[in-house]
Amino acid sequence: MNETLKAARLDYSLLRPYWKTLCFIILMPVIYTGVARSLSAGISFEMCMLGVTASYTFAISEKNGMERLYGALPVARRHLVFGKYLLICTTGLLALGISLVTHTAVLKALGETVHAWEIAVSAVLGFFLYTFYVVFQLPAYYKFGAVNGKMVQFIPVTGYLLTLILLPRVDLNSSALAAALGRPGMLAGAVLLCCAAAYVISIVVSVRIMKNKEV
Amino acid sequence: MDNVLEVRKLSRSFPGFQLKDISFTLPKGYIMGLIGPNGSGKTTTIKLILNMLKRDGGEVRILGMDNIAEEKAAKAELAVVFDSNYFCEAWTAAQTETAVSGFYENWDTNRFHRLLEQFHIDPTKKVKDLSRGMQMKLMLACAFSYSAKLLILDEPTSGLDPVSRDELLTILSGYIEDGEHSVLFSTHITGDLERAADYITYINRGSLFFTGGKDEFVDSFRIVKGGPEDLTEEIKARLIGLRTHPTGFEALVRTEELERLKHASVKADKNRSVQGNGDSALPAYTSVLKKPSPVDSWTVEPATIDEIVVFTSQEPYREKGRIR
Repeated sequence: MNETLKAARLDYSLLRPYWKTLCFIILMPVIYTGVARSLSAGISFEMCMLGVTASYTFAISEKNGMERLYGALPVARRHLVFGKYLLICTTGLLALGISLVTHTAVLKALGETVHAWEIAVSAVLGFFLYTFYVVFQLPAYYKFGAVNGKMVQFIPVTGYLLTLILLPRVDLNSSALAAALGRPGMLAGAVLLCCAAAYVISIVVSVRIMKNKEV
Repeated sequence: MDNVLEVRKLSRSFPGFQLKDISFTLPKGYIMGLIGPNGSGKTTTIKLILNMLKRDGGEVRILGMDNIAEEKAAKAELAVVFDSNYFCEAWTAAQTETAVSGFYENWDTNRFHRLLEQFHIDPTKKVKDLSRGMQMKLMLACAFSYSAKLLILDEPTSGLDPVSRDELLTILSGYIEDGEHSVLFSTHITGDLERAADYITYINRGSLFFTGGKDEFVDSFRIVKGGPEDLTEEIKARLIGLRTHPTGFEALVRTEELERLKHASVKADKNRSVQGNGDSALPAYTSVLKKPSPVDSWTVEPATIDEIVVFTSQEPYREKGRIR
């Protein structure tokens, strides 16, 4: 098995005992979608909630003194980092997929019309927000640990509040926005590229921190 | 490969503490005790071996492999058990296997379950519900399931009751029986080493005090006990450690020093007994020479590892006891 997959599996096994909490976090924002009657608003909230869970594996391993186990395992430190990012990214995508289905179903049940483009926009927005919630958090957790670095846990909440404040101020009639929305494929591609670049930079920083880290 | 572990001139500095020039080798098929008082550098040495801390200098070879350049291959051949559990407490014993087994190519699931049975560990029980001794056994079960050639234990017996400690030592003795496995065992409970260890590496305040066979280590020292009037400055200077009480003294000496100590004692006794000079002193000299030396009345006993560590940790004597 690939080293990265092994490391991701180890981190997954840390989360597995907490699957009920994770299910609650994934499904709870449905209520918000129902109240706000907006798929993108619900997905933003969902990603904020999920972004907070990025610290879970760090907190669990810190609580159990597992850095000693990580130190003894025959696996390169960079692979431990890759594994963590793989798990967190996969969790985000999975939760996003589940949310898009459940939130859409709830909106439809409430009599709202949900267009395909709305689902696509919510998906790209959700992935973008989740990426930016986690790429700043993870290096901080590697550097300071989940307890000392808990301040960064507020990044998703801050991001969500900023989204709430800034989105209404966007001029929907601006030519730049019109041009961007006129090429939705290119816009989505640019956003995904931006997310990929953010992940790469975050991983490089985390690997560097991890390589110099002493347990 | 005769040595499973070779540590050469290992050094690391921290603010207020320095581990300097630690060198020792652990031959295949033996148990080595890594001893020293609290804060002497035992755990630091182990962490440097595991590359969990970065060394300032020196070299570590595990089964001939460099612990940094060939870290992954080296770690695949070793297992580590720390003084407390390092598995997720929410895992069951069986889930622990699922999480860890993937990292080891030669993991034997049947063996793991046999070991759980042998150690009376319920696979469905959560790690947090296991006693400290059982958690230790779970870590050992994992270590034995991939036939780690070198087992490193950091203070494994601290916090264990005597029964669990005895069980652990029995397990370790069984582990090295085939001559293919070795154990590096850090502890400050030296009684465990009297029973289990073949070799001793003694570190004190970051410096290597002794490394070699356990019997050689124990034979190198003797405990002497004498009356309060027997102590002179010259005798004191030859002692490695000293404890005085109203009825006499108890001291640690190097075995080879015993004879010299006897001469020093006779000289001291002459000086004390013969008070005149010339002819008037002659009868006194003669009587002193006929008198048995005070050393003859001292009790000389073999020293235990515990006594050696306690006496050699005393500030004025630390350097004098150093063997190599």
